[in-house]
Amino acid sequence: MTSKLVVGIADMKMAKNEGMLITYALGSCVGICLYDPAIKLAALIHVMLPLNIETNRKSPMKYADTGIRETLQKMVEQGASRSRIVAKIAGGAKMFEVSGSGSLGNIGQRNIESTHMILRREGIRLLKEDVGGSTARTLLFDAASGEVCVRSYGKPELIF
Amino acid sequence: MKKYEDLNILELDTIREIGSIGTGNAATALSSLLGCEVRIDLPEVRIMEYNEAIEWIGGPELITAGVLVRMSGELNGIMLCVQQMEFVNLVLEGVAGRQIESYKELTELDRSALIEVGNIMISTFINSLSSLADITTHLTVPAFALDMQGAILTVPMAEFGGQSDHIMTIGANFICNHQTVPCRLLLSPDIRSLNFLLKKLGVLDD
Repeated sequence: MTSKLVVGIADMKMAKNEGMLITYALGSCVGICLYDPAIKLAALIHVMLPLNIETNRKSPMKYADTGIRETLQKMVEQGASRSRIVAKIAGGAKMFEVSGSGSLGNIGQRNIESTHMILRREGIRLLKEDVGGSTARTLLFDAASGEVCVRSYGKPELIF
Repeated sequence: MKKYEDLNILELDTIREIGSIGTGNAATALSSLLGCEVRIDLPEVRIMEYNEAIEWIGGPELITAGVLVRMSGELNGIMLCVQQMEFVNLVLEGVAGRQIESYKELTELDRSALIEVGNIMISTFINSLSSLADITTHLTVPAFALDMQGAILTVPMAEFGGQSDHIMTIGANFICNHQTVPCRLLLSPDIRSLNFLLKKLGVLDD
């Protein structure tokens, strides 16, 4: 029986060698899986917003930019090598179609774009993604294999 | 600027009173819509951290219907009506004389009924709030989603996530035909509007 670690909103958890990282109900939020296959170190971040413009930055994992950077640093501290780390992401849906609203429905899209940009800047390869659309996703990330499983309401499970 | 988590007892009491009046009016609207008596019990205001709010509403993965309306004008923000199964059945029983066991059974007509009920409740709530505080608020056309409630709840959170780590819910239970049905109305004004509202009502001490 592998242990399950639940990652909340604006949260990050790591697992090594074995264990399942899980984050529930990603709406416009994005789940970012970072993995070093050589040492089987997995990290899952549940970010809510694209960029950190808070003055005191007390919750870095809420944002894609500070979340990814801080997690990469923590992974390196655990013995990971930046050049081996690969990423898989899911989320960034648009839950409500509100007519005549500006930024409301676009947070998902902005989260995806910001995540792409930060990963590229940090030189992390993005292997697979399941983003956009209008359905919520629950993401499971297996530390032993680096495999990601996405569950949605009324859709078959997606494994990548 | 006061954030949700900085509100003192007097300010929270004021919000609770708004909630009481708003929910009371929403209950009256619901009552005339369903043709049965709807009462409310004591309303409560909760200021919760995100993950706490999701646990409170019943876990992230539960499928729920949500009606969302955006407010603008003197009051900016979002109002969300989370319609859990008990509530959906209360409405369907009233307007269509039937009940469902799974959201998959919802027809197009049922959906419109749910959107309309959500819209009416939200509009009544905001109307009573606006006339109480003497402010003008515009509402958008309602949007509907049927999905995991964790994801529905993160919509108002993400919208104001840069301002606060907390979310405010105002709720009372509806009592209809001796059955208690939780009403989950989430009023999420942005921080500026929250302060403006409290100032208008004369309770903000700064």
